[in-house]
Amino acid sequence: MTDRRRINGPPGGTRPPIFASSLESTSDIVAERPQRQRQPNELRKIFLKTGLIPSASGSSYLEFEPSTSLSAARSKPKSVIPPSSSLKLACTVHGPKPLPRSATFSPNLVLTTHVKYAPFAGRRRKGHVRDASERDLGVHLETALRGAIVAERWPKSGLDITITILEAEDDRWWGDAPDSHDAAWGMMNVLAGCITAASAAISDARIDCLDLVAGGVAAVVADETAGRETTSQLMLDTDPADHRSILSACVVAYMPARDEITELWLKGDNSKSSVGTDNRGLGHEALIDGAVDAARGAHSVLAEAVRESAQRFAGLPSGDFT
Amino acid sequence: MASTAADSTAQAAPTAPPSLILPPSQFARLQPHAYLLAHLSPPASSQQPSLRANGRSPSQFRITSANTGSLTHTNGSAVVRLGDTTAVCGIKAEILHTEDIPSWSVSHSSSSLASNKRRKLTSPAENLGADREDGSEETDDDDDSYIEDFSLLVPNLSLSTGCAPGFIPGAPPSALAQSLSHQILSLLRSTRIVRSKDLQIWYQRPNLGREELEVHNEDEQMDVDVEQDRSGGATPEPREIKAFWVLYIDIMIISLAGNPFDAAWLSVLAALRDTKLPRAWWDVDNEIVVCSDLVSEARKLSLRGLPVASSFGVFEADAAAGWRAVLIPDAEEERKIADSERKGIRRRWILADPDGYEEGLSLERVCLVVDRDQGGSGEVVIVKLEKNGGFAVDRKELKQLVEISAQRWEDINQILGQC
Repeated sequence: MTDRRRINGPPGGTRPPIFASSLESTSDIVAERPQRQRQPNELRKIFLKTGLIPSASGSSYLEFEPSTSLSAARSKPKSVIPPSSSLKLACTVHGPKPLPRSATFSPNLVLTTHVKYAPFAGRRRKGHVRDASERDLGVHLETALRGAIVAERWPKSGLDITITILEAEDDRWWGDAPDSHDAAWGMMNVLAGCITAASAAISDARIDCLDLVAGGVAAVVADETAGRETTSQLMLDTDPADHRSILSACVVAYMPARDEITELWLKGDNSKSSVGTDNRGLGHEALIDGAVDAARGAHSVLAEAVRESAQRFAGLPSGDFT
Repeated sequence: MASTAADSTAQAAPTAPPSLILPPSQFARLQPHAYLLAHLSPPASSQQPSLRANGRSPSQFRITSANTGSLTHTNGSAVVRLGDTTAVCGIKAEILHTEDIPSWSVSHSSSSLASNKRRKLTSPAENLGADREDGSEETDDDDDSYIEDFSLLVPNLSLSTGCAPGFIPGAPPSALAQSLSHQILSLLRSTRIVRSKDLQIWYQRPNLGREELEVHNEDEQMDVDVEQDRSGGATPEPREIKAFWVLYIDIMIISLAGNPFDAAWLSVLAALRDTKLPRAWWDVDNEIVVCSDLVSEARKLSLRGLPVASSFGVFEADAAAGWRAVLIPDAEEERKIADSERKGIRRRWILADPDGYEEGLSLERVCLVVDRDQGGSGEVVIVKLEKNGGFAVDRKELKQLVEISAQRWEDINQILGQC
C-alpha cells in the first residue's frame, strides 16, 4: 500500500549504499574507531537557544558539541562515512490553547508530545510515519514534563510539544555489526536532549513550572584499553559511538531545586560489572547518581537559556543583567 | 517604523481613557487589512514612504541566509532562513538496482540504444561521425527520461514539525504540504536541474583475460573503446547500467512565517549544490553495488543552471475584493483606474516575498522562477511562471516582476556562492 499523500520513491525500493571498507574487515578501520577524549565525568557542551521559531508560543533549538573525531572529520574529510554524530533538534510549544469541542472536560492542562526524526536524521533513512521508538520517546518525554508543569493553572486547555530531530545520536559505532540484542543506546541521549530542549521551550512559552527539568545520561561502559583486561567504568554523557560496549545506561529527568526525578529510564544489565570486579560503585544507584550529575550540568545551560528568553520577553537587550 | 494608524490613536491617548488605546500589534490583529493599508498608503502630509507593516518596501525581500553541509548523515544538506521562515533540507542518496526495476529488462538492457547513446555522450569526439545528427547541440538530454521514469528524485516536504499552530504533528501531510511537495517535484523535473548522467552507476564487462571494473572514468572508457575497436569489437555491448542513485530530498519547514515555497526551493537548491555522491561500482563477486568511502573519490552533482524562485502577493486596497464577484474591468472602469492612479491613489500593491501576515491578506499570488543563461549572454530565462487568484497582475506588471526576480537571482547567486 503506497502512501498517496507523499511522493514515493521507486516502487521496487532502494538500498542504502554499502561501502567497500565495511565489506573487508581490515584492521585499518579499527584504528579509526573514535575514542572518548573527555574525562569520565566531563560533559559535552550544549548549545541551547530559545525563541528561534516566532510562530510558536515557545521554541528552542538544541545542539550537542560534535565529538573530536567528528570535528576532525569535518575539517579534514577523508572518509564519506561520518565517525560519529551530534544531536541536533528543534522543539516547539503551541499553547496553552482551548481543547477541541469534542474533547472531554479536563481540569488540568492536557499535554501532548510528539517526537519525530527527520528522514535524514540517522545513518539509515527513517520513514515519514512515526515508528514505535519515536512514539516511545514521546511517552517518555510526556512523563518527564508532566511532573514539572503546574497543570491545574490551565483547565480545559491543551499544550502541544513537538520535537523534530534533525540529527540523531548513533546507537553504536558504525563499524560494529548491529547486534540483535544490543539496545538502541542513542535513543537515551536523544531523550535527554529532548527533555532539556522541551523544558527550555516551555519556559519560553511562559508556562508555569515547578522547576526547570533537565535531562542527563550516564552509562557503565566496558572498554578494552590496549593490553589490559576489560574494566567497567561509569561515564557521564556517553556518546555510544565512542565505546565498544555499553553495559547499562540510565537517563533521568531531574529538577535540581526540588531534588526530584520525574522520569527514570534504566536499560541494560550491570550485574556483570558489579559482581565480577567486586566494585560497589557501579550499581544502579551509582548509575542514577551519575545521570543526575549529568542533568545538573545540563541545567546550568538550561538556566542560562531561560534567562536569555526572559530578557528578550522583558524587552531587555541580551546580556543585560538586572 | 511606527504605523500611521497607531500614531493617530497615540495622539488621542492623553484624553481618551486608557482602555481605548490599542497597541499596534493588537490593531494589526483586529483590523489586519486596514493596518496594512495604512502602512502602504500613508497620508501625503506625513512625508512617509509607502512601506509595508514589516518595514520593507513592496519589492523588498526578507533577509535571506543559507548554510550548507551541517548535517552529518546526509549526502548534502542546507538550512535556509528567509526572515522567520526556516527550511532544512537533507538529501540522502540510496541505490536502485536495475534488477529491482520491473520494466528494466524489457525496455532498456536488451536494447543497445542506451549504451550507444551513452558512448556518444562520454566521447564527444565520436560525435563527429556523420551519421549522428541529433547529439551535437544538446548533448546531455537523451537519458533524462530515467529520472522521471524511475522516480530518481523523491522530494517530500513536511510541515508537521510544529512550524505553525495550524498543522497537527503526527497527522498525514496537509494539503499545503502535499501541493508544495508536488510543486518542488515538478520544478525539479521541468528545470532538469539534476543530470541523469550523475545518477547512473555503470558496469564495464571485462574483456576476456582482462579484469577491469570501471565506472565513470571517462578517459579510461575512451581507451577501452579504442582497444575494442582495435580488437574488432569482441563484445558488442560492453557497458551497461547496473544501478541508479536515488536522491531522497526531504525538506522540514522548521518555522513557517509565509512564503514556504521560496524557502523550500532555495534549500533544495543549496542542498543539491552541496550533495556529494561516493564513487560506486558493480561488484561482480557479491552482485551488489559497492561504494568507495574516500572523500577524494566522491564527486559533486553537476547541476544545470540555478533556477531561483520568487513569490509575490497582491494586496488590494479594497477590503471587499476578497468576497465580491470578480469581473473583468470594462473600458470605463479602466479609465477610472487610470484616473485614480494619476491622482496618486493606488488600488493595489504587489508585495514581494509576503510574510505570513501579508499572505493572509493577498488573494492573488504570482510565483516566478527565473534563471540566467549560463552560456555567456546572461539573459534572463523564465523557467516557471505561475499566477492565480485574480487578474490584477497583467503584462506590464509581470515584466516588472521578472525584473525584480532577475535582481533576486543575483542576490541568491551571491548568497549561495558564499556558503
